[in-house]
Amino acid sequence: ANMEGQKAKRIVDMALYKPTVAPVLTSELGVASPNERAPADAYCIVVIVLGKQCFLVLRQQQFNVQALVAVGERASKQMVKFAANINKESIVDVEAVVKKVEQTIESCSQQDVELHIERIFVVSQAEPRLPLQLEDCVRPEGEGDEVRMRARALGPRTTTSQAIFRLQSRVCQLFRDTLTNKGFVEIQTPKIISAASEGGANVFTVSYFKTSAYLAQSPQLYKQMCICADFDKVFCVGPVFRAEDSNTHRHLTEFVGLDIELAFNYHYHEVIESITDTMVQIFKGLRDKFQTEIQTVGKQYPSEPFKFLEPTLRLEYSEGVAMLREAGVEMGDEEDLSTPNEKLLGRLVKEKYDTDFYVLDKYPLAVRPFYTMPDPNDKKYSNSYDMFMRGEEILSGAQRIHDAQLLTERAMHHNIDLEKIKSYIDSFRYGAPPHGGGGIGLERVCMLYLGLHNVRQTSMFPRDPKRLTP
Amino acid sequence: MPMYQVKPVFGDDIKTDLPTCMYKLPNIHAQRSASGCSEHALQNGTEVVDPAFRDLEVRQDKIMRRLYELKAAVDGLAKTVTTPDADLDQTVTSLSQSPTATSFRGTADLDSLLGKDLGALRDIVINANPARPPLTLLVLHAMLCQRYRVLSSVHVHSSVSGVPAQLLSCLGPRHADSYVRQRFQLGFTLIWKDVSKLQMKFSIQNMCPIEGEANVARFLFRLVAPYPSDPALATLVDSWVDTAFFQLAEGSAKERSAVLRALNGALGRDPWLAGPELSLADIACYCCVLQTGPAASSPANVQRWLKACENLGHFGPANPLLQ
Repeated sequence: ANMEGQKAKRIVDMALYKPTVAPVLTSELGVASPNERAPADAYCIVVIVLGKQCFLVLRQQQFNVQALVAVGERASKQMVKFAANINKESIVDVEAVVKKVEQTIESCSQQDVELHIERIFVVSQAEPRLPLQLEDCVRPEGEGDEVRMRARALGPRTTTSQAIFRLQSRVCQLFRDTLTNKGFVEIQTPKIISAASEGGANVFTVSYFKTSAYLAQSPQLYKQMCICADFDKVFCVGPVFRAEDSNTHRHLTEFVGLDIELAFNYHYHEVIESITDTMVQIFKGLRDKFQTEIQTVGKQYPSEPFKFLEPTLRLEYSEGVAMLREAGVEMGDEEDLSTPNEKLLGRLVKEKYDTDFYVLDKYPLAVRPFYTMPDPNDKKYSNSYDMFMRGEEILSGAQRIHDAQLLTERAMHHNIDLEKIKSYIDSFRYGAPPHGGGGIGLERVCMLYLGLHNVRQTSMFPRDPKRLTP
Repeated sequence: MPMYQVKPVFGDDIKTDLPTCMYKLPNIHAQRSASGCSEHALQNGTEVVDPAFRDLEVRQDKIMRRLYELKAAVDGLAKTVTTPDADLDQTVTSLSQSPTATSFRGTADLDSLLGKDLGALRDIVINANPARPPLTLLVLHAMLCQRYRVLSSVHVHSSVSGVPAQLLSCLGPRHADSYVRQRFQLGFTLIWKDVSKLQMKFSIQNMCPIEGEANVARFLFRLVAPYPSDPALATLVDSWVDTAFFQLAEGSAKERSAVLRALNGALGRDPWLAGPELSLADIACYCCVLQTGPAASSPANVQRWLKACENLGHFGPANPLLQ
């Protein structure tokens, strides 16, 4: 039995019922607690009646246990009938004795005990007709997806969803802890901004009193201002809004962005090493402490375990192009990687180095935004990089131009209206250190780590061009 | 490292006003240019140094330098007298290390041995189990580094949770140019992974993975020097390599002592195991012999041969891992 969690003391004030023992979590029930009286507050998910006995399965988050109401000295026939009539997904309060069973109960997470119920109360009754059946949610095919997305108070009750979102919470925590230990400062950046920083095509507009404003596409501008404000290393966790009309498996219009920006001392590879080390610490934290959750997800969505190297593998763009050409793909030296090529390159790298996570460094300058620092040794390339998990891009980052004059030149080269980015360029006029950074999407990283196929499965309340509620 | 250049902020000539209200001190270091030798300790207070004293110091320095040179020469001679001749190929000798002179030839050799490269770094990926570090391959790596520009890196795979520090630094310190992968002719990537058999991957389009330390050693050795052209000798080398890996490293105590006796016999006749020159057989047997037991427990000829191998200097990388 899983012994996670704390025993919580709860005072229940009900007319006829005063518990004599502290409530026990389902996850703690096991052979170590035989014959104990165990009050528990759980969801009742299955009711099966067999003659004079009624079997229930009680569930709390990821764990469930079989329970039994039988006619005997503690239970009457009416009590069995009452238990039999409890609707699925109601919350019940039970006081029961934990009994060891001879045959392991395969269908429950606590397999070697069952509860013999002595008192049972319904705390909150569920409606008899549920919008979806949770058994359908646990099936591998994605038929119930639409309905599941809508009934968000019900859908995530499955063990798989519980595992996914607990893992996601842990990713966020590992991100914060690793960076804080490296000396980073967490900042919060505004989401209502006056000008679109990266071109106006993909921003949402909101009405702002007498004018209009935009929802932030990325915290980049503000991260860089904080670096210029002498914070040296910053990170921020917050929503990111992209008005992209793409209905793919990996795009959302609103997602949680984990962004990093840092000033470096000698070479922008210090930035790459810092970011990749953070990612590796996250992967190691999940590998070492969250195997239960990973296995739970793997039961419904089987996939290969996630592999990585420490230190992270870094290949150069020209190497990636050469590997693709060797595999038969025709592409130009300065051409951007299309999504199928990215996936193919991911497979080739996996084949040779056996890693699902790597960095592709030195992208061609022509395909990167105007604020990317060019490569001092070769004009065709830039000091920019992308990171990939399972062949899909999770981070796009670069060394930023910190000289106002060079930045102005590059902006004019890209035909960008200088008036719109005046405040951006101004931040580099008063002493700015060389710096770089990048940002990842929490939902996409979780999806790729677990080997899932749709980012909506890792988003609690997903937003895409067709979905605005719940 | 070339970086983004900041344009000069200050002009060239800056006029500084020296204060005129202060008492000026004469430069106490001015007499240094007169003495001509900056290694001497500064004579406090006195401006004039006794010239005879100075000459004595200069003479003493010269004598000490000559003494050190003689000592080094005698040491070198002592080593060459006890070590039989071991020229693999004129380019690989422990005493003359000039990688830049041979690098252009090296690329042409690599092209003929490994096929023309298409712009990607020719990266040799070796997956090894940290419980059984491949010493032979570390020695061959050192030989490769003398011959080509090699980008070496060590990674730990996620299937292994922790690896001792000496295994992480077994390929030597990081090259100063390692931030530009294209400047290297060959890549050597060692990944510590939970594998049952050592495995090497090179070209995933044209080659299947190579398994076993013996086979990978043969592949790497051919990049350093060709196998002997005489087929009998080549077979002898191969047979010693197999004996080293299968009977010496993995065999029972009886098999090992039998191999040591065979080694003793062979080394009584010739300075090296396969004829007059050092070959892969010697490298493989050296590593396997020392992995099974300390040098002192081997027979006399074997001990002499082990000392000769060490004097060559190629086997340096293996030593820290043998403790």
